[in-house]
Amino acid sequence: MATYRRSGISRRAVVEGAAATAIGILAAPMISRAQAKPIKIGMPTILSGRVAQLGTSSRNAVMLEVDKVNATGGLAGRPIEMVIRDSKGQPQEAARVARELINSDGCELLIDAEASSGAFAVHEVARDLKILCLHTNSETSSLTADPKQRIPNAFRVCRQGIHDSIVGGAYSANVANAKKLTKWMTCSPDYAYGRDTTAQFVEYLKHFKSDVEVVSEAWPKLFQPDYTEVLTKILQTKPQALYSCLWGGDLTSFIEQGNIYALFTQTETFAVNMADYTALTVVKNLPKGIHSGNRYIKTFPKTAQNASWADAYRAKYNEYPTNWVWQNATAVNFLSAAARKANSADGTKLADALRGLTIDSPFGSNGKLTLRADDQTLIDYAVGWGTTIPTEPYVPDVTPGDWRQIIELETEWKKKNNYT
Amino acid sequence: MRPSLRNDLVIGAIAIVVLVLLPLVSPSKALIDFVIRAASLGLFATSLNLLIGYGGMVSFGHGLFFGLGAYSFGLLMQRTGMPIPVAFGLTILNCMMAALVIGAICVRLKEIYFAFLTLAFQMFLYSLIILWVPLTGGDQGLRGGIPRPPFFGIDLADQKQLYVTSGVLLVAGLILMRHIVESPFGYTLRMIRDNAMRAAFLGINVFRIRLIAFVLAGIFGGIGGIIMSLFVSGAYPELAYWTLSGEGVFIIMLGGISTFLGPLVGTAILLLLNDTVTRFTEYYGLVLGSIILLFALGLRRGLTDVLVDYWHNSRAAQAATERS
Amino acid sequence: MDLASLVSCFGSSACLVTQVTSGLIIGMLLFLVAAGLTLIFGVLKVINFTHGAFYMLGAYFAFSIFKATDSYVIAMFGAAVATAVVGLIFERLFMSRVYGRNMLMQLLVCYGFILIFDDVVKIIWGAEFRSMGMPAIFQVPPLFIAGGVVPPFYLFLVSMTTVIGVTLWLLIERTRFGKIVRAAAHNPSMLSVLGINTGVLYGLVFGLGGLLAGFAGALAAPVRSLTPGMGFSILIESFIVTVIGGMGSIVGAFIGSLLIGLIRTFGTVGFPLFTDGLMYLFMVMVLIARPTGLFGKEIA
Repeated sequence: MATYRRSGISRRAVVEGAAATAIGILAAPMISRAQAKPIKIGMPTILSGRVAQLGTSSRNAVMLEVDKVNATGGLAGRPIEMVIRDSKGQPQEAARVARELINSDGCELLIDAEASSGAFAVHEVARDLKILCLHTNSETSSLTADPKQRIPNAFRVCRQGIHDSIVGGAYSANVANAKKLTKWMTCSPDYAYGRDTTAQFVEYLKHFKSDVEVVSEAWPKLFQPDYTEVLTKILQTKPQALYSCLWGGDLTSFIEQGNIYALFTQTETFAVNMADYTALTVVKNLPKGIHSGNRYIKTFPKTAQNASWADAYRAKYNEYPTNWVWQNATAVNFLSAAARKANSADGTKLADALRGLTIDSPFGSNGKLTLRADDQTLIDYAVGWGTTIPTEPYVPDVTPGDWRQIIELETEWKKKNNYT
Repeated sequence: MRPSLRNDLVIGAIAIVVLVLLPLVSPSKALIDFVIRAASLGLFATSLNLLIGYGGMVSFGHGLFFGLGAYSFGLLMQRTGMPIPVAFGLTILNCMMAALVIGAICVRLKEIYFAFLTLAFQMFLYSLIILWVPLTGGDQGLRGGIPRPPFFGIDLADQKQLYVTSGVLLVAGLILMRHIVESPFGYTLRMIRDNAMRAAFLGINVFRIRLIAFVLAGIFGGIGGIIMSLFVSGAYPELAYWTLSGEGVFIIMLGGISTFLGPLVGTAILLLLNDTVTRFTEYYGLVLGSIILLFALGLRRGLTDVLVDYWHNSRAAQAATERS
Repeated sequence: MDLASLVSCFGSSACLVTQVTSGLIIGMLLFLVAAGLTLIFGVLKVINFTHGAFYMLGAYFAFSIFKATDSYVIAMFGAAVATAVVGLIFERLFMSRVYGRNMLMQLLVCYGFILIFDDVVKIIWGAEFRSMGMPAIFQVPPLFIAGGVVPPFYLFLVSMTTVIGVTLWLLIERTRFGKIVRAAAHNPSMLSVLGINTGVLYGLVFGLGGLLAGFAGALAAPVRSLTPGMGFSILIESFIVTVIGGMGSIVGAFIGSLLIGLIRTFGTVGFPLFTDGLMYLFMVMVLIARPTGLFGKEIA
């Protein structure tokens, strides 16, 4: 076989030259970064399937805040590197992914953005591997309230069912007193969140207004597409007021279907998850006057910081912030503050710093958020109820909840359940 | 001892030794988790193949026993804290009884109706799990972890020891199932699979043989569930959902029907796919779907089927060239 | 369990009318999907697990066409035809390769496509749920019939599905095409001997199934939120319907759908927490009593 030689710069020289340049370019930041090893944070979440939006919006929020934290030096000088993985919404996958992130990917702590049942699975991994874990999307109160579940290295940085129920009960009792609503009915999805939240709401509603009677209940399945039989049951019952903790696509379907039955003109409706941009912007014919708790609303708290934060998120990701967004952003903010306080990014030191820590936040009820020390859960976040209008800003006025009242009743609730 | 049993025991012993030595060679913790899950699903899939491949009985509801095993074991440990071997035994008993009752109703039916009825039973159990919140925790499953008291010096709370134990259970289960299918019972089962009417004419009690196969499959499926329950330290309704039965069927199709270890190969393929694909993309469905189509439309057989055919063809080609 | 409400409902004409009509509403939509499923099985002896994905595509097509044209009629027919084409292509290019093989291979092909379709929909239309909204003509208050409440859109839905159902029946029973389809269900080899192109026929049958599922999706779109994977629940239910009614029998699918619709509506009144379980229990009972389903024929 004939060979030939090209004149001029040999191919080998070009390749070697390119390699040298590449190594030079790559090495430069490495040389400066060699002083501070990045800290990998694992984040199991749901990126596919029905609830994919939970994961995608959580991821957006985390990345937005991580960029800010890294711009000011990271956690105790160590830049954050997020490793975000999909568990497809299955608890056994969540457990596997969490273990993999720690054991194989070198993550030193976890931001657990799983939904409720996945969160319990990741909680067990955190218990076994003794790793700092911040739960950002699980609202099931027992995760932190139940001493049997509690572990020193796990924190909940999101809203809680019991808080929402107390606020909802107080607000709804006021409305019920004003409009004389004594005959109630509930319609909530048939799974742990739906049942527990509804039961708690009713309990506190009755606490604040004792002559309320729940004459009937409907329990559609989660993700059930067709609410016809539920709607006809409601229409048969003719309640004065209806409570529902349906959320997301289910709530949207329920509203669309309820509209054609003219349900909302006949019954005062309290849909705790209505005031969430995911539902508000998707429903085509949003009825007026639906009472709802805030999930995340740009107008509550009515501060410039909150509004500008929402605008910044929307500008970057071209979507409205969801409830999951403020919770995950807050987790990163807490980590950053804890690292400054402990002057370290070590998991145990961070956990010590987090206990009882208060930070400034646009999402706080008076500008601040606190991780309560005894049960390691978030308090003082902005929580309140208001009524909807069909156009922006959707929920113009929100009546804030009273945190003193919330804590007082929460303490009683814990005593009643032997959680102390 | 039959020479084949002796061979299998030797192979099994070697496999266990390799498993024990592997973590010393490769410190990857992902390997440990992988083997535990492979043991759990591998036992499940192989037990399903007892029904599908060897018995010709396509069950769409086999996940019932996986879930039943996971929940029974988890509940026994959470509620009573009894020694693990005792809980293990009681769980197997539970799966056996359930398989006896459900099998007696189902195995009389032919083919597709057997499939539907087993599916209906599984979904009925699933509805019960979801409904019976005080016992099962409903849709949230068993939370708070399950206690794992050490027994005979083995501490299953230590992941490495769970790894070895799962490996041993897998090997033991495979050897047992292998000898079931290679025994006279197994050959009778295969005869029934090929031609039930002829078997009946030969005086074989078709119903009894099928029922025994169903019960055996249920037991080993339940053991798979126990391992999973230990891995996640709990039990979730997803472990009893029909998608698990579907996964079992796919594993068998991916791995191949023609060899005994086909389902185990399929398990490894599916787990590897799952673990690697989710690292890189959230469009896992697209990737998995395409690979499934590749097997179903392209290869039209499972992986071991392809290998066996290739081996047969090359042997035949070799024999042909030798003859010429 | 709330048997008191159930009993009192049977006593009240308003309640009976409302519940029966809602059972009808649920059942008729289910029937459209189940009819396609059972037709495909009857002729091609194949369980089309992708049928739920066809329904989903019908809904999404309707959503997009409605957004583009603002006409529900165009959206409905457009979606149905588009889904029919998908069904035809799916059969010709993929399902035809696995006829006569192991049922599990067919199941595998369908499952592969479900996964692919779900992700394709997610890529094109996004992972968040969408809402088509009620077309303007139907945004009117509900009607009151004998004390029961009936929204006009649902009247339209029931009438539309009845028209489609009757047309389907006429097609199968009274046309030449229908005769060929029925013959194919009985004896396909004879058909090819008679010179009929069975390949094209099978494609058309699958296309017809797709058409029905597409109609169902388009009819459901105004009142459902659209999300990737929405085909799943209707697949399970239509599957149960065809099993209960008998695979291959369109009449069985009709009766089965109505039964399931009524079980759901009355079940919600009497057994609000166990409605699904009730459905599976019913399925178990029917299969034990009559394994081939209520109207099914023995499959050799």
